[in-house]
Amino acid sequence: MSLSFVSQQCLRQSAVMGVAAVGGIRALAGGVRHLASVASTEGVPKQEQKRMKKFEIYRWNPDTPEKKPEMQTYEIDLNKTGPMVLDALIRIKNEIDPTLTFRRSCREGICGSCAMNIEGGNTLACLCRISDADKVTRIYPLPHTYVVKDLVPDMTQFYKQYKSIKPYLQRKTPSPDGREFRQSPEERKKLDGLYECILCACCSTSCPSYWWNSQEYLGPAILLQSYRWIADSRDEFKAERKQAFENEMSLYRCHTIMNCTRTCPKGLNPGLAIAQIKKEMALSS
Amino acid sequence: MASAFKTCVPRLVARSSPASLSGITASAARSFVRPSPIQTRVAAFHASKNLNILPVGPQVIQGTVNDAAPVPPPNPTHGSFHWDFERLVAIGLIPLTIAPFAAGSVHPVMDAVLGASLVIHSHIGFQACVIDYFPKRQYGTLRKAATWALNGATLLVLYGLYEYETNDVGITEGIKRVWTA
Repeated sequence: MSLSFVSQQCLRQSAVMGVAAVGGIRALAGGVRHLASVASTEGVPKQEQKRMKKFEIYRWNPDTPEKKPEMQTYEIDLNKTGPMVLDALIRIKNEIDPTLTFRRSCREGICGSCAMNIEGGNTLACLCRISDADKVTRIYPLPHTYVVKDLVPDMTQFYKQYKSIKPYLQRKTPSPDGREFRQSPEERKKLDGLYECILCACCSTSCPSYWWNSQEYLGPAILLQSYRWIADSRDEFKAERKQAFENEMSLYRCHTIMNCTRTCPKGLNPGLAIAQIKKEMALSS
Repeated sequence: MASAFKTCVPRLVARSSPASLSGITASAARSFVRPSPIQTRVAAFHASKNLNILPVGPQVIQGTVNDAAPVPPPNPTHGSFHWDFERLVAIGLIPLTIAPFAAGSVHPVMDAVLGASLVIHSHIGFQACVIDYFPKRQYGTLRKAATWALNGATLLVLYGLYEYETNDVGITEGIKRVWTA
């Protein structure tokens, strides 16, 4: 019955459009497809469809230290949320729970503020797409850090360690011609993959060695930053920089686990940088 | 539209009101453990204080937050020399292990070198475990005890190996006999 209705419709349409009866089959086929598409859009308008998704977020409040940390579930409509986890977090904070605390700034993966553990991996919330709506997304602060509140970890030790590697250009001699220190394109190329690091601490807090010995082991992020200066052709304190690693803790607690490289949200390779430091130290001293 | 959305979304699906927090341990356990048939047992493990093995102490900041982390005094014996030696032993073990297979039997000296390298290789491996898992600051006494226990064990094994090489058949022949036994 429906078929006859469709063909009737089709014939009427083709008549309206002035198509000759000679090309009937073609017109019929075209007409059916056209009608089918019309029928599908006649259903429920897309705007009212909701794609609700649950987010389980780690909560801990320093004002109530007697309460253990707990997971709190929030449910939001993905159709009204941006594509990234940070969009969801900001939406939850704005519309559902203003007490939810997290760091964020640039929302485009260049500041490193929103580093957190999402679905089991350390990453930047602003670079992490929200997964399927039927899956629950669990969000924790960076692992094995002292938590300040909710998703905010304490980065004091990380920054103190960064300071200890003297992350700036060190020279013994002034520039030969009094102008800036220049590099050849080849020398500059050695810094690619090193200078992009934003110190979000995703790699360091994914490293088991750093979990156990963060007091003394520097961790992948700081070691990559140190190699950034060891590899720099303009720096004249390479020997001193390497000398600072001549102990059993600072550098050699790296056991090439490579969690750092796997987790880096910027796609860098701290494991390779550490291997380069080890290689240079093995051959130079 | 936005306000309509706000009202229709259940605010805080699992909001922890004081009334629902009858027991802190129970609620914390519930939120951390995924639903499973043996939920109570798992929850008890995660929440009980008795099984809180080697708890992490409070945060220790040396100096002020603006001071750099201290750099230990340089000592290549524990740094690059140690690493070089470790790698050399590891690489050297490959031909030493293959040689008895290739030659059929080896000279007693080669056999002794293989045995000694194996012991030194394991000593370095265990040493890394001790350094990794017994931090000086938290477990100074335990660290010392573990280090000396490891040194003693290594010396004992080296002595046993010496006895085995001089008064018995040696490790290559020994393994061969066990293999074909």
